[in-house]
Amino acid sequence: MALLEVDNLSIGYNTKKGYLKAVEKVSFDLEAGASLGFVGESGCGKTTIGMALMGLLPPNGSVKEGRILFEGKNTLEMTDEELRKIRWREMAMIFQAAMNALNPVQRVGNQIAEAILVHDPSVEKDQAMDQVENLFRLVGIPLDRLRDYPHQYSGGMKQRAVIAMALACRPKLIIADEPTTALDVIVQDQILGEIKELQKEFDLSIIFISHDISIVAHMCDHIGVMYAGQLVECGPREGVFESPAHPYTKALLSSFPTVTGKRSDLIPIPGETPNLVVPPHGCRFCDRCSGPEASCSTEPPQWVEIAPGHRALCCRC
Amino acid sequence: MVSKQNENSMGPERHPWVSSFLEGWSIFRQNLLGKIGLTLLVMFALMALCSYIPPWISPIYDPMTGVDPDITSCSGPCLRHWLGTDFMGRDILSQLLAGARIAFMVGISAAVMSIVLGVSIGMTAGYMGRFIDTLLMRLADMIMVMPTLLVVLLLSAVFGQLNIWTIVLIIALFRWPGVSRIIRGQTLSLKQRPFIEAAKVAGASHFRIIFIHIMPNVLPLAFLFMTFRVTSAIITEAALAFLGFGDPGTVSWGMMLQWVWKTGHMFQAPYWLLPPGICISLITLSFYMLGRAMDEVLDPRLRKEDQTD
Amino acid sequence: MELRKYITKRIIQIIIIFFVILTVLFLLFRLAPGDPVSMMVDPDMTQEDAEMLIVQLGLEQPLGMQYLIYLKNFFTGHFGFSFHYGDPVVDIIWDRLPNTVLLFTTSIILSALVGVFLGKIASWHKGKKVDSIMTIGALVTHTVFLPWLALILIWIFAYKFGWFPINGMISEEVWLDPEAGFISRALDVMYHMVLPLSTLFLIHFGAYLLIMRSSMLETLKEDYILTARAKGLEEKVIRDHHAAPNAALPVVTSVGLSLAFSINGGALTETVFTWPGIGRELVSSVSQNDYPLAQACFLMIAGVVLISNLVVDVLYAYLDPRIRY
Repeated sequence: MALLEVDNLSIGYNTKKGYLKAVEKVSFDLEAGASLGFVGESGCGKTTIGMALMGLLPPNGSVKEGRILFEGKNTLEMTDEELRKIRWREMAMIFQAAMNALNPVQRVGNQIAEAILVHDPSVEKDQAMDQVENLFRLVGIPLDRLRDYPHQYSGGMKQRAVIAMALACRPKLIIADEPTTALDVIVQDQILGEIKELQKEFDLSIIFISHDISIVAHMCDHIGVMYAGQLVECGPREGVFESPAHPYTKALLSSFPTVTGKRSDLIPIPGETPNLVVPPHGCRFCDRCSGPEASCSTEPPQWVEIAPGHRALCCRC
Repeated sequence: MVSKQNENSMGPERHPWVSSFLEGWSIFRQNLLGKIGLTLLVMFALMALCSYIPPWISPIYDPMTGVDPDITSCSGPCLRHWLGTDFMGRDILSQLLAGARIAFMVGISAAVMSIVLGVSIGMTAGYMGRFIDTLLMRLADMIMVMPTLLVVLLLSAVFGQLNIWTIVLIIALFRWPGVSRIIRGQTLSLKQRPFIEAAKVAGASHFRIIFIHIMPNVLPLAFLFMTFRVTSAIITEAALAFLGFGDPGTVSWGMMLQWVWKTGHMFQAPYWLLPPGICISLITLSFYMLGRAMDEVLDPRLRKEDQTD
Repeated sequence: MELRKYITKRIIQIIIIFFVILTVLFLLFRLAPGDPVSMMVDPDMTQEDAEMLIVQLGLEQPLGMQYLIYLKNFFTGHFGFSFHYGDPVVDIIWDRLPNTVLLFTTSIILSALVGVFLGKIASWHKGKKVDSIMTIGALVTHTVFLPWLALILIWIFAYKFGWFPINGMISEEVWLDPEAGFISRALDVMYHMVLPLSTLFLIHFGAYLLIMRSSMLETLKEDYILTARAKGLEEKVIRDHHAAPNAALPVVTSVGLSLAFSINGGALTETVFTWPGIGRELVSSVSQNDYPLAQACFLMIAGVVLISNLVVDVLYAYLDPRIRY
């Protein structure tokens, strides 16, 4: 049994302009110790999936259909109490914009200790602080910064602290949402390296969310490409990277130079993302695709198996 | 609900003020507080206008000098005097109406004066920068610390009884710092814009740049602040009159309260005690509500938008 | 240590402002219409006393010299003699000061604490009846005209129901009684303080409630609140331990900004309730043309406002670690 099984998940938001279908029928599995990366442009729904996994959708968001099976149990059917118990203990999140993820008026060490104390009331305060010290050693923050406040930390240090906090309860799954976007390249490299080490050391499963396919390819054994709320391609890293099937994946990879050279943050593909309140009936990528067929815009695309474990949602593949 | 941008898309040549006004108006219309505030204000404005009617009907209704031959002291409401009479036999209702007129006069004049001062000083400070800026802002800081009411009290000790316009002027002199701070901030950000650079290159003098280029962009914000300034001016004048330092020739609501208090009729004449106080409180409330609604119009972040993701 | 530097800077600023006010007052009274001598010297004084006072205050000297004497007098506590009471002004001020501080500080602290507490609750129940009632209540009480509210409270609770005294701070019987201990005297003062305190409280707590409410709503949108929720904390803990301490900061700032407004209210309240404080003394001394006393009262009030500003600033610096470190 996989650690995480997501089955036909659809999520939407109630907005002034209507019901926005942010995630449409997404399914994937994640084994223990494995890593899966979601890549796509802003607004494609990858963050929404992450939030839904943690049960942290905003008040106007709702899951329309599907199941999220964590260790066999459907989290969507859990009570608030049960969810709160799993959160952080089994499943933790590293948020986008760690710059603001820490409470400015509390000491960093205390905030991390709080996570430990909430989930294990038998632990004493100083025992918890010892554990926090260990975590700091793990992620590479000097111990004398334990009693500092967040604003005294540099960007990289804050990110490390957030990672330490995510590991505090030794969860089985970590969802990392754009953890390095705000950092400069050198620090980013260090942090990514550290995350990889920690994953190996604790046998963690990671879901890595990013708009940068190079990072995802570097960090994860499996890649899921998202576009306009749908999972359009999914498979092992080598397969997706070396033989991309979906036109969007191809476009993503081709706008990115290999080996040396500058990373590009924005992927310039002509056209705009479709309106998710009234999405097109056919393929959502159709009007930006380089070579659509006649049936692409009228028929919803079906899953096609490219290779064992590698599938794409496309009519032409 | 689709946004009302359609109105703007029809006329590209429309002056930016007009289209932003229309957009603001549609937002304002949806705001309950604003509507209540505006309704109340209109009611008070009507009261102020009606204040000319009673003396015109008969001299016994004059707020200051009106004397009813049959009544010479405080009495309750009756057919001839809907709110009764005060200790001198003057009609309370006509006093109340006159008070509305004074309130608007005081409030609006003081607000306009403090806006004029605050905008000029704020723009100058923001535009000139450095020494002048520091000097003006330090001055503003000091004035902001001062309790206006007590300063006016002290000044009336020195200069004797003040007349209403002097009071208005002094109130304005103590209210401009708040406005100037905000305007200064606006000016600072406007200063960097290309059109100011262009004006400088074209050889425009400082004066011209400030008043002809910067001012139009800064005024809408200034008008917002006017709503808040009005209430504090009205309250200050009312408090002064209440304490006995108002202009004895004007009948303001504060003055009415002073009379009911000092002549010892406080406990026996609710028809005299209640109306002026209710009026002062309601007019303050209505300007406040109006100000909050306008806040929402001018600052999009405050509007009740649903979150999209 | 950042905090020490910050406090020192603020103290210096306050001293400078105080001196400016001192100087402005000096100029005001010397340059005002009328004879400065009649402003400072009681017309009812004897000739010799008057001349002694004139020398002491330096009223015959050139302006520059007068200013120096003025400053010297300030530092040595010579403010002249009150026309009305005949006593040295400085004695009167010292006698009244504690009464004002008692009423003023208690009202501010009480309204801030209650405002913050209720604002937090209102934000938590946003949109529901509790919130609407609190918000409307805050709005209405905040805009009521203070002296009128005072009169109404006296009329209803003191006159009609007779629950509280109509005015004053003390009952003569209690204080003149040699047997009365500290407790009964304190209780007597508190008994007299209920209505004035209620007036000030009702007017001010609304503003703090509204600010805390909107501050909480803003804070609850912050990223670190999401983190707290993700950590598996209970909503109550999130609200009280993570959101509220952050949301309360703007309230502290607003207390500082509205101090001038609050002291106006304090003076009005003292006058209506005949509470023997500095505010009331200022009002009565002005109406009696008791210039020395009026001047000193004003100076004292300015000092109180400035020091309160300092206290609020220090409190803020203490509460917000971003300033402290």
